[in-house]
Amino acid sequence: MDKTNKRMGLRSLVAAFVLAIAFMCVLPGTAFGLTTGSTTAKPNEDGGTGVIGGLPTRLTWEATVDEGDSVQSLELVLPEGGSFDGSTTKITALKGLDRSKIEGEASPQGNKLNVKFSEPLNAGHLIRLEVTDMRFPPQGGSVVVGGTYVSGGETKQLQDAPPIETIANTFAQTIVSWLDHQPWVQAWNSNQFLGMFFKPQLIVTSLFALLPGWFVCLGIVIASYPFAVVLGLIFALMKVSRFKLLRAIAIVYINVLRGTPLFLQIYIVFFGLPMMNINIDNYILGIIVMAINSSAYLAEIFRAGIESIPAGQYEAASSLGMGHLQTMVNIILPQTIRRVIPTVTSDFITAFKDTSLLSSVGVMELMMFSKNLTSITGNMTPYVTAGIFYLIVTLPLIKVVTVIEKRMARSERGGGKRPKAKADAVKEEVADAI
Amino acid sequence: MLSNKRLHISNDAQDVPPALDAEEAARAAHERDKSITKHHFEPHEHPCVRIEHLMKTFDGDTQVLTDVNLTVWPGEVVCVLGPSGSGKSTMLRCINLLETPTAGHILIEDKEITGHLLQSEVNKLRQNLGMVFQSFNLFPHLTAKGNVMIGQTKVLKKSKEEAEAEALKQLDAVGLLDRADYKPAQLSGGQQQRVAIARAVAMHPDIILFDEPTSALDPELVRGVLDVMRKLAEHGGMTMIVVTHEMGFAREVADRVVFMEGGVVVEQGTPEQVFDHPQHKRTAEFLGSID
Repeated sequence: MDKTNKRMGLRSLVAAFVLAIAFMCVLPGTAFGLTTGSTTAKPNEDGGTGVIGGLPTRLTWEATVDEGDSVQSLELVLPEGGSFDGSTTKITALKGLDRSKIEGEASPQGNKLNVKFSEPLNAGHLIRLEVTDMRFPPQGGSVVVGGTYVSGGETKQLQDAPPIETIANTFAQTIVSWLDHQPWVQAWNSNQFLGMFFKPQLIVTSLFALLPGWFVCLGIVIASYPFAVVLGLIFALMKVSRFKLLRAIAIVYINVLRGTPLFLQIYIVFFGLPMMNINIDNYILGIIVMAINSSAYLAEIFRAGIESIPAGQYEAASSLGMGHLQTMVNIILPQTIRRVIPTVTSDFITAFKDTSLLSSVGVMELMMFSKNLTSITGNMTPYVTAGIFYLIVTLPLIKVVTVIEKRMARSERGGGKRPKAKADAVKEEVADAI
Repeated sequence: MLSNKRLHISNDAQDVPPALDAEEAARAAHERDKSITKHHFEPHEHPCVRIEHLMKTFDGDTQVLTDVNLTVWPGEVVCVLGPSGSGKSTMLRCINLLETPTAGHILIEDKEITGHLLQSEVNKLRQNLGMVFQSFNLFPHLTAKGNVMIGQTKVLKKSKEEAEAEALKQLDAVGLLDRADYKPAQLSGGQQQRVAIARAVAMHPDIILFDEPTSALDPELVRGVLDVMRKLAEHGGMTMIVVTHEMGFAREVADRVVFMEGGVVVEQGTPEQVFDHPQHKRTAEFLGSID
């Protein structure tokens, strides 16, 4: 009993083994009639590392004819969206180290390239096709060259070659690849400092890559600021209110928000709310935090503005019979707003820069983009470029503040445009003097 | 500054007698005033401003007004003179409640404004009392025209067109029609003060209070302002209480001159009585020091 059992087990094991061998022999045998050796692509122009879609590229495809097979013709299927000029395709057939006498003829057909050989290439032949004027699809990505071949009247599938990685042909990429070839760029980059902080290629790449982050920063600050202004005004009015409770609320609100770092406020809101199962989109949350934080600073700016209006203005308004609210709306606030515009603009600049803190909680803004790019490239240039993006907004605003301050100082001295001829005013002045 | 509190003046605690009955007060005031003003009394006329035992203390200890008694008749021009610190301006500011009297009575058209008064009643009262300030207090964000219009549109609720027409009329009256679109900062002090007068007049108040209207002006700009005030007194028939140091103006325009010192009215009379025959030594000394 025991013996027969053992023998049965052994037999079945052997059978399975034989079957497996048979499969391995049969299946690969049919598939490997033509073994694709390598598929490579290289930009036609010298220099540069990657293959860029849409630019002239040389595609080299190699395959070996396996034992017991022969190839009469083959058809390469090139990726849709690309283009090539098949007529200049270089066809080489090698047997060992010798160049075969067999000639091929290539003709393009849509995105397919047909190659017919003068006589079948038998086993051992190496076929090399060089498509000299290939353009890969401009959107970039992984490109696989496949196709079919005819062996003994039978059409067989080509084994897919390893994919070729191509880079999207963006405007930036065009500039970068141009810069790659410039001698001055190479000289520039050979300086360690310049190459690390101001690498021209990376500046160009960053300018394009950081743009979405810059828009996010602008979007957050522009969306949050109107709320901040309204909130700030409300708390400023509460702080100068005659009701003790309103004043107390405003003082607590303003002092807590101004007395703690924005960084901390961001952490509390971004990590606190999800823990309470309140899930708000990161960008919206960023807008809310920035609005609340800025509102405290704006409240103080507005309060100082309101208190800077001389008592005579209240008295003049009162003497006309205006009530408290009317005086505020018609007399005090319009003057306050004029006075605080420079300070508010400065605060806006600060708020814009402070959006960078949102990167710490994963908001995809400028800082986050540049951090990612820097960690990919190991180069500081994306940070420097991020700095440029911040400056694009802040420098003009700083200028605006200066201009407004100068103009206000001038108009307080009675300068500025006169609505009518100036000569009249002088005459009047003289008449007054007499 | 932003206070909107109820006014409350505790007259009981200050040992001030209650305000007189209107008829009785009018008769007494007429008796008292008929010889010391150039004002032409109508039969049964009541004073439009009546100040009785007015007292004002700042910060609880600085007594600015001790006991002020004064009546002003409709259409009368009263010039208040006195050394600085005599309480002239404080008295004026008490009349439209820019200062809250500590004790005493102020009655406008026989209506007591001291005591319990709601802010809305105070606002109503002030519409009837124009005020011209020493420092003009024009609204710098508005043009000359805008300054004259804003009270009309926001307080009197006039239409923009009406207010504008009135503003231009009043600016014309003060000789500044061509400056209608100028901002205050672009005007001379004298021009600013004339705009301020136009702003007060455009509200058509019964009384205008002038608080040293020319004191902040360069000497050469004073005349233009005084001319406007004179025109207002002579042709407008406006009741005016003018705190001033302009003796010439007081002598020429005033129906009555009031000399104040130490928080009380020391002497009052027609300009001739006060300037030419002062009864009190202090009045004579003050006038002597000015001239």
